[in-house]
Amino acid sequence: MSGARRIVAGLEAAGVTLAASVPDTWIGRLMETVRGSTKIRAVDAAREEEAVAIACGANLAGGRGAVLIQNAGLFNCGGVLAGLVELYRIPCFFVVSYRGDRRDPVYYHAPKGRVTEPTLSAWRLPFARADRAADLAAQVVRGVESAVESRGPFVLLISGEDLE
Amino acid sequence: MTPRKPLLEALVAMLTPADVLVSCLGANARYLPHLAVPVPAFALCDSMGAAIPLALGIALQRPDRHVVALEGDGSLLMSPNVLATVAAARPGNLTALLWVNGHYESSGGQALPSAPVDWVALAKGLGIGHVERVDDVATLRAAFPRARAAGEPALLVVDVVFDPNEPIPPYSERPDEIRARFRIA
Repeated sequence: MSGARRIVAGLEAAGVTLAASVPDTWIGRLMETVRGSTKIRAVDAAREEEAVAIACGANLAGGRGAVLIQNAGLFNCGGVLAGLVELYRIPCFFVVSYRGDRRDPVYYHAPKGRVTEPTLSAWRLPFARADRAADLAAQVVRGVESAVESRGPFVLLISGEDLE
Repeated sequence: MTPRKPLLEALVAMLTPADVLVSCLGANARYLPHLAVPVPAFALCDSMGAAIPLALGIALQRPDRHVVALEGDGSLLMSPNVLATVAAARPGNLTALLWVNGHYESSGGQALPSAPVDWVALAKGLGIGHVERVDDVATLRAAFPRARAAGEPALLVVDVVFDPNEPIPPYSERPDEIRARFRIA
């Protein structure tokens, strides 16, 4: 089973009902797998802040929303994270493509890679890096449950090779 | 154009038990606790531009409810792209009311950039099929049922008077209170 399929299996197992996304190359591959799910509604957003609010809306309405975006898109989301997710204490699970880390072969992503974890730390966003050698689905379930239990955000960082 | 409060009162009077209300920050959110809203209501006090996508998430999760979103022109000018997102998702149970007064009312009444934005054309151009302009209580009372029955995402562009001396009540509910009370049966 591909890493993308294992991640989506984790979303399904965690009860995620809606995945809102702005794609990049990696997230786009993941969303193609989401679209094959009969349990998760895929929602294509034009901008990442919208995806966060859409997922929050699903959560407020009794479902479980997730946000699938690139790290550059996460950088756009400081306002909505502070003014919606944190302020109203809404669970919000993110799968974020970690562009520009040492596993990313594309040179122009490097500046984003350098500031990803410092930004997550500065914004006090709980996060984990996916470990493809371990149970990816279980990592997703733990992340969703962490968001639910803390009534706040949780970010799972993935790389392209995690989808293979 | 009409002052905001009579329009808001007319809207609240038209809500049914099948509706859910989501409000942007500012005057709408500050008036709502004083209007005996008969449906679940989620009011923002921050996060400009979040009302419509929040309502979209609720609408997709709960197709048995009609979700009414209140948004301001300052907020939507920051993120008009959300209309394309709504158009793509095509929920038949989402009506947004865009309150147009040309000012950032909640942050001190500063004027928006002075471009003559054609909100009706913008919404239609981004794929919203049902768009109507409303400028008084009578047209709101006529247009809102049409929007709710449209079977597709609808936007009502509501022209309201900007009055810097309008006695808007202060926020009277905290976010944790709003969050705790918001339940959709």
